[in-house]
Amino acid sequence: MKSESRASRLLKQLKSGEGQPRMVVRNLHGRPNMTPLADPRIAALRWLKRVIVGCGLLLFTFLFLFPLAWMILTSLKPAGEVLMAPPTFIPSEFLFSNYEDALRAVTVGQYFGNTLYLALLNMFGTLLSSTLAAYGFACIRWRGRDTLFVLTITTMMIPFPVLMVPLYSMFQEIGWVGTFKPLWVPSFFGNAYAIFLLRQFFLTIPRDVLECARLDGCSEFRIFWQVVLPLSKPALASVALFSFLATWNDLLGPLVYLTDQNQYTLMLGLQDFATRQSGSSMNLLAALGLMMTLPVVILYIWGQNTFLKGMPHPVFRS
Amino acid sequence: MISRQRPLPEESGYGNLKQGLLFTAPWLLGMLLFTLLPALLSFYYSFHDYSVLTEPIFVGTGNYQDLAKDETFRTSLTNTLLFGVMALPGATLLALVLAFLIESTRYLKGLFQVLFFIPSLVPLVVVALLWQFIFRADVGIANAILEKLFRVFGLEQVGLTEGPNWLGSTLWSKPALVVTFLWAAGQPMVIYLAGLQDIPQNLYDTAEMDGANWFQKTRHVTLPLLSPLIYFNLIVGTIGILQVFTVPYVMMGPQGDPLRSSLFYLMYLFDQAFRKLNMGYACAMAWLLFVVIALLTYGAHKVAERRVFHREE
Amino acid sequence: MKRLPQNVLWVVGSFLLIGFVFAWGSGCNNISPTPTEQANSTESPTEKIKLVYWEKWDHFEAEAMKRLVEDFNASQDRIEVEYVRLVDIRTKTLLAVAGGRPPDIAGLFPEVLPLYAEKEAILPLDGLMERDNINASRYLPVIFSLCQHEGHTWGLPTTPTSLALYYNKRLFREAGLDPQKPPRTLEELQSMARRITRYNEDGRIERLGFSPELPRWFRLWWIHWFGGRLWDGEGRMTLDSPEAIAMLEWVQSFPITFGTESLQRFHATEGPFNSAQNLFIAGRVGMQLQGVWMANFIERNNPNLEWDVAPFPTANSGGHPVTIVNCDVLVIPRGSRHPEEAWEFIRFVQMQKNMERLCRDQWKFSPLVQVSESFYANHPHPRIQMFRTLSESPGAVPAPRPVIIEEVREEVYHALDSVWLLQATPHEAAQRAQVRLQGDLEQQLTQWKRVEKMRRLSWLELMPAREALEQQSASTLPGEGKLP
Repeated sequence: MKSESRASRLLKQLKSGEGQPRMVVRNLHGRPNMTPLADPRIAALRWLKRVIVGCGLLLFTFLFLFPLAWMILTSLKPAGEVLMAPPTFIPSEFLFSNYEDALRAVTVGQYFGNTLYLALLNMFGTLLSSTLAAYGFACIRWRGRDTLFVLTITTMMIPFPVLMVPLYSMFQEIGWVGTFKPLWVPSFFGNAYAIFLLRQFFLTIPRDVLECARLDGCSEFRIFWQVVLPLSKPALASVALFSFLATWNDLLGPLVYLTDQNQYTLMLGLQDFATRQSGSSMNLLAALGLMMTLPVVILYIWGQNTFLKGMPHPVFRS
Repeated sequence: MISRQRPLPEESGYGNLKQGLLFTAPWLLGMLLFTLLPALLSFYYSFHDYSVLTEPIFVGTGNYQDLAKDETFRTSLTNTLLFGVMALPGATLLALVLAFLIESTRYLKGLFQVLFFIPSLVPLVVVALLWQFIFRADVGIANAILEKLFRVFGLEQVGLTEGPNWLGSTLWSKPALVVTFLWAAGQPMVIYLAGLQDIPQNLYDTAEMDGANWFQKTRHVTLPLLSPLIYFNLIVGTIGILQVFTVPYVMMGPQGDPLRSSLFYLMYLFDQAFRKLNMGYACAMAWLLFVVIALLTYGAHKVAERRVFHREE
Repeated sequence: MKRLPQNVLWVVGSFLLIGFVFAWGSGCNNISPTPTEQANSTESPTEKIKLVYWEKWDHFEAEAMKRLVEDFNASQDRIEVEYVRLVDIRTKTLLAVAGGRPPDIAGLFPEVLPLYAEKEAILPLDGLMERDNINASRYLPVIFSLCQHEGHTWGLPTTPTSLALYYNKRLFREAGLDPQKPPRTLEELQSMARRITRYNEDGRIERLGFSPELPRWFRLWWIHWFGGRLWDGEGRMTLDSPEAIAMLEWVQSFPITFGTESLQRFHATEGPFNSAQNLFIAGRVGMQLQGVWMANFIERNNPNLEWDVAPFPTANSGGHPVTIVNCDVLVIPRGSRHPEEAWEFIRFVQMQKNMERLCRDQWKFSPLVQVSESFYANHPHPRIQMFRTLSESPGAVPAPRPVIIEEVREEVYHALDSVWLLQATPHEAAQRAQVRLQGDLEQQLTQWKRVEKMRRLSWLELMPAREALEQQSASTLPGEGKLP
């Protein structure tokens, strides 16, 4: 039982952020030989820098948010006004009924349900299978592990189009085309990018912790489940977000595999609405677009801090 | 290189082949089923006339020969490369600038980070529709603003009165897509920002003590330490850009209007595979793409060996 | 070593979980019934057979067809048809057939029938027609020819159309033109277009007489108004003909007269087709080539528009008026789970009463030879007779349907775009399209020669109720020239 406490001590240490490995910089050549001075010139430069940074931030904020503002305003304009030349910026009247019209024109609820179903399944599947694999690659030593990991990394390079056609014919062979299955089943068999990301994160967990747990007689799965996973929450959140966004955003997959209108995802539904033969009005498209963007933005802001901690630190050891 | 493994004592849990295989089994199976097998099948189909509806017929290198003659294929390849050459350095530079700006400010870091990242969260179909409308002639806002700016800055005298014909001319369709791409390319910014925050303050302190100014610090501390991230993003970005699909498909139409000036590689591949059901031909295209990506990655790797800064292990 | 079983347990456990999710997933999306479920459904008389019907129509045109579907569903208690509107139906249907989950009935355009037939994606209907006595003589010949390919019938028509010039009488008056005298030649069309066109103070086009790119639906067919055609119906493309070049010159004359960018800017202000922002319906375009259905859209979006129709002018005066005749067709995709029931629905639509109802609701004429007296008497389209007459005139051309339709469409559009953007002379554009398409056509023909025998055999295998045909002509094999 003594060792048990040793492990938990290490765990605590880790959580509090102590004992993180410090980086060592190998070469910092070309140092200029100047004397540091706290003279007024430097103070002026500091001030100038602050002004430049401030202006830059304001400029980019404008550039990045303006299109969104334009979309929001467009979604409130009457159908005739969106086609005025030159365009108006502020709507002549604020038509919130556009949102009702958009919801009436497209069965957003159903598309939303389909998309959520796929996104959650993919998220769950990717997390489950990729964490298992990443643990196998990061925390257990076995013959052939490194070869297989290099192979895993290599598969990241295979472009999706190479797989697109054969996957289609394979799924067609087993009668899965026209169902949701081709869009989520593969995620339960892992995703190279997620495995890579998680493995990198698992490697930052000090080996001592794992060793202690092993010495305590923990099974590998218990170490995985009770030690490694709880320590990796940020990475898990990142992978979850990426997988969720990828599914939410995907157009190509649903375009190829889904034929029934009742199965459409939000993106496919929107694309469908935009390319109708009888045409669609821009104000309704903007309203729909906003409704499809909002959930993701909220999700991101809500989990932002966790996601950012789990961002990849891909220091390549080629 | 990933360090060679040494045989280690069994009791410490090392050298456990069964465990290792057990944990990686789902992935290994998945890699086999959903990546390696399809990749091989794709190679096989690329030598066949195959439409899914009928059995594949062997045609030798016929598909590849047709590709060499196919003008549209060449157009799509050039378009993709041109777009990559314009978009990738632009996106990298923009992401670096944004990351520097955020890192340099003392206030509201979190807010700016969210603000600049929000466009990347907008679903690509929405991005495409939104910018299509922004760039639309006459009723779009882009040229309305540009023309106002021209007037304000007195550029009318030098003949600048009208904005570019973004969507309607073969010259401007790709720049329009580049702008759209840059707007929604916040992902690398977040990575760079994380990288910047990771650089230990003591390095800057040391540099400052040596009298380095801002530029020198950037040149000799920040960029070297960021270079692995830049390298990583360039590789991922290249692979991504060669497969760009959704935005041009929705914004410019399946044929990459006008005059195929925005027909990209994957759009043409999709067209051949799923509109014309020339699946064998599409597989040949896909394999060529793979070769291109492999070559580019290898080249980047060679460059990176010399240029990218490695942390000491 | 003691630890191992527990680990195995855990991993096996997580796989069981995966298995559970699989099962859950498959339980959640049984949108199309599996074969076993169907077997059950056919056995019990209370369970109806559900047919999925894909169609391109939207809004009120869809409503018209849906009423017919409801009638059909009420007319018997065995089959239930579900109407599903689809965007980009020709790609989606082909893809769905390839994927093995096609709809039971699809409403396509005839131009894709040859392509689909040669991809073996749709079923030949000759056997069923023979068995149930639906023969070619019921239909206007030009319409029925649209449903044929290589001696087989691949679909049956729903609503037909012909194309004519819709023009705005008020704009004619305001330009000092006589609204009773629409253009007779393309030259007249052009000079009238110039007179109708108005600019606003900053130089933008405010109102336009005519643009060959508004709408862009009929671009493939312009050549026919010049007396030319896309190909000779056999082995040669005719895009380098003088007629083709004249056509491209005519198209190019518009951007030359009005400026490419000015026209693009004007086109950019167009709203959805079915809205008051449609440029013709909004009264901002003087003349437009449109189908018979246009009156319906005008009436619903801007009933005050003063419009009329006339045959679209031709390059040379004199001679017959030229129009393109097209229709919508119902087909049974290969892999349909209920071809017999699908046929029953198609047959229901073909009955004179039902067909007339559909065509009247969509403001179109009837594809049938026999028409009830009340049909035209009560028809909502004020100029329906003209469209019907046009479609039977000697100048009526069935919409061209080469097997390589996708390639032809792309290349002809490319040629049109390049002259429109002033990036090629009509001659260059024509030559380029000719060379590329001639190559494609020859490739397709060699391919066809190689597989023709095989293909004809598999068509026979695909054909439902082929016994009916065999009884009828026991001596000759169908498909070898004897059949229609």
